[in-house]
Amino acid sequence: MKRPIIGVAAAAGLLLFAGPAAAEGELNIFNWGNYTNPKLIEKFEQTHHVKVTLSDYDSNDSMLAKIKAGGHGYDIVVPSDYMVKIMIGEGLLLETRPNQMSNFKNLSKQWAGVYFDEGRNYSVPWQWGTTGVTVNTKTYGGDINTWAMVFDPPEELKGKINVVPEMNDVMNAALFYKGFPYCNSNREQLKEVSDMLVAAKKDWLSMEYGNVERFGKEDIHAGVNWNGASMRARLSNPAVAYGYPKEGIGTWMDNVVVLKDAKNIENAKLFQNFIMDPENAAMISDFAKYANAIDGSEKFLPAEFAQAPEIKAPSWYKPVFVPPCPQEVNELYTKIWTNLMK
Amino acid sequence: MADRAMPRGRFSVREQRGFTTVAILCFVMLYAPMLTLVIYSFNDGDSIAVWEGFSWRWYEIAFNNREIRQATVRSLQVASFATVVSTITATMAALATTRTPSYRGLTFVYALVNQPLMVPEIVTAVALLVFFAIVKVFTGYTGMGYLLAAHTAFCIPFAYMPIRARLEDMSLTLEQAAADLYATPWRTFRHVTLPLLLPGILAGGMLAFVISLDDVVITLFVAGPGQDTLPLYVIGQLRRIVTPEMNAVSSLFLLVSALLVTLFFFLSRRRK
Repeated sequence: MKRPIIGVAAAAGLLLFAGPAAAEGELNIFNWGNYTNPKLIEKFEQTHHVKVTLSDYDSNDSMLAKIKAGGHGYDIVVPSDYMVKIMIGEGLLLETRPNQMSNFKNLSKQWAGVYFDEGRNYSVPWQWGTTGVTVNTKTYGGDINTWAMVFDPPEELKGKINVVPEMNDVMNAALFYKGFPYCNSNREQLKEVSDMLVAAKKDWLSMEYGNVERFGKEDIHAGVNWNGASMRARLSNPAVAYGYPKEGIGTWMDNVVVLKDAKNIENAKLFQNFIMDPENAAMISDFAKYANAIDGSEKFLPAEFAQAPEIKAPSWYKPVFVPPCPQEVNELYTKIWTNLMK
Repeated sequence: MADRAMPRGRFSVREQRGFTTVAILCFVMLYAPMLTLVIYSFNDGDSIAVWEGFSWRWYEIAFNNREIRQATVRSLQVASFATVVSTITATMAALATTRTPSYRGLTFVYALVNQPLMVPEIVTAVALLVFFAIVKVFTGYTGMGYLLAAHTAFCIPFAYMPIRARLEDMSLTLEQAAADLYATPWRTFRHVTLPLLLPGILAGGMLAFVISLDDVVITLFVAGPGQDTLPLYVIGQLRRIVTPEMNAVSSLFLLVSALLVTLFFFLSRRRK
């Protein structure tokens, strides 16, 4: 039993010099801030005798900048859906073949064949979420699974709507509602979308972030919203409900990938397999309050969370991952958006 | 008008119309957000906008958060190291630019020392990212050295300015008197220049400490695995659910900065 002592000594030495070096039994994870359950890390450290160092980033882009520069010292990063595609394209990721790992069987079928990593040769899902509509069901009792709640609202909701000022989320929602393709540069279709948004805005009360309290206090009664925020609003006011627009609903998913220049490849692969275990996946969701993609994890989560309508999507829900659009499309969107925000 | 001691025609900003209004407005703009931040750090509820009663709860949570504790210790370590090294360097630079006869290239030296003030921070950050990446690949070393070097570099001009200002205020007569009395240059420095210069050095060091503690942009690009400082930790939180825990951390941070700046203020007053 000398090894653990050496390990502790090595860890203490590393702490002293405050700089992790490349040695056996380490793993450097680079993840979004406040996104990783410390208990999950402790469990992984104990199970596999690996010292984990966790660092935070605040955006896909700053993460990519550091990784592309090289010499970063990280083994694992957690990019969003489209960023996985970009990183594979740039040759930054290691083909770890999660689809051959022992816990891959737990991955929900729905998430095995995603566009950004067909067949999951590189990435393992971390968490995912949606941008849908939030409606106060006391104010409006009809079907809320439609973007009409904000773009063609019923009489009861007019003047009580808040739309989050996120250009891409709102543009995508409008395109879904109209049945037009996303990343659209068709000027006639965009004109229709623009006219619809300008007309709809007359029925909106505000365009602001931070709507959890306002839904709770019934200052606002409907709006474009994220599923996590909608759930928090419902917890303070049970009348608040989350709708999955049947016209299409934007989805994001963050994924665990291993970098090609990682120093601790075997430990990184162990981690990918580790988080596909239902109990471990449940720890991820329990901390950051978003859904994971592992079947059976709900057994390890409080029912009121695992079965929450904002987290457990209805059976007919079809995720739409919207990749970043070409520059030309972005410019058109920005014009529409600027005009809308006037 | 006769009771006014002010000579006619002299311009005084404080005599301008609307001065008080503008001044008050500026103070409100500056301090109202900070005041709100501090007040809500004592909020009993989970929200940073709805007041639900007073409690120390979020301070307790922040103190028990391992990541926050580690990031705080790291920030203090980096700032202490950067302060000591940059202040020593700045003192030497200040002596070399004031206590010597003017020489060719002096302006160039000023510009060189103050470079981090002139170059936009993001440019320095990206340049360091690219440069350090090459060094990292070449040497294989990924430790704290890079962060310490970067912080030391951008702290130098902040430490340099008060020290140089102090040196320029100090008359040369005392040093000349010491030299006349056969003091060696070292003894002159040790017993005359340094004691007189000390308030400037302390002020410079304190400024460097606060600047290092606050830095985000350069740190963001330079920090390697496990090297998140407290400001980086705070930035990382913002994308997710923000609780008054962030207010508590920021308030403590504000308190440390305020204490240091107050100390700086009194030290610089003493030299008058």
